[in-house]
Amino acid sequence: MQNRNKTQNRRDIILVSILLVIIGSVFVYFNFFAYNQDSAVAHIYYGNSNDPIASIDFVNQEIKYRKQDVPNDYDDIYPIIDTDNRTITLLGDYRVDGRRQIVVIQYNFGAKSVKIIQESSPNNICSLEGTSTGKPLICLPNRIRIEFEKTYDENEPDFTV
Amino acid sequence: MDKIRKLTLLANFLAIAIVLNIIESAINVIPVPGAKLGFANVVTLIIIYVYSFKDGMLLTISRVLLVSVLSGKLLGPIFYMSLSGAVVATLAMGFFKKTNFFGMTGVSVLGSIFHTIGQIIAGIFVIGSIAVVAYLPIMLFLSIPAGVLTGIIAKKFYDIWETWHEALG
Repeated sequence: MQNRNKTQNRRDIILVSILLVIIGSVFVYFNFFAYNQDSAVAHIYYGNSNDPIASIDFVNQEIKYRKQDVPNDYDDIYPIIDTDNRTITLLGDYRVDGRRQIVVIQYNFGAKSVKIIQESSPNNICSLEGTSTGKPLICLPNRIRIEFEKTYDENEPDFTV
Repeated sequence: MDKIRKLTLLANFLAIAIVLNIIESAINVIPVPGAKLGFANVVTLIIIYVYSFKDGMLLTISRVLLVSVLSGKLLGPIFYMSLSGAVVATLAMGFFKKTNFFGMTGVSVLGSIFHTIGQIIAGIFVIGSIAVVAYLPIMLFLSIPAGVLTGIIAKKFYDIWETWHEALG
């Protein structure tokens, strides 16, 4: 019994060490190397759709968008594109008092970056994530996500991780 | 008598697991939407060792259901992630406990890793995009210390339980 415990303890330590090395290197790779290249475009998606509501084209410095389907009792037409403040406003899925709340996304053509500056959710994880130049931004309670692409192909709405 | 004792203990464990789960969702340990490190798994691990895999699975599913009812998130996106993570973790812990190759800490770490994987898989479906995988490295990395911690706590409890149980007969 005591012997068995000892062997298992040793195996546990080996297991943890191996996992730390493998996952540690994957983690370091992802954090420091995977998103180093400049992105050409950032797509903003709503729900499970793979057809972006809006695309921020960093190369040609323009915004392409299509109308977001929202119920009739919401007054504005989404997305709201504000070129002066460089923001795009969408209607998220998170409800406060039964009303869906907006998600405000700010883009920067020069830095090729995107940032979620306003949203309502229990923990505000995606707005706390800050500025991103390649890492996807995901607002789970609002079902809105932003994904980056290194090359822009208009015909093929492909997505990369 | 034994049956009643078991039932009472399981009910107590369920209550502890629910509280752990609620505390865990209130504190933001990781910068990943809807994801948790699975500290409530400590109770599942203990039950698997003290009673059986079946009891552990039953307790885990009840915990996830009750927590989502209590927090009003039933059938929301986060619910599916919690459920998938918890079930996959329990399956993994049950399996690795049965092989008897690793000790409690090892089983706990593996459970923690599978908890993360289960959540991410559900996340892919909830979000509808594999973009969620970008969060996998950081979550896996954090789940190792979390797994070690829960493993040590569970082991401590299990040792006390063994002595206590022998004393009771």
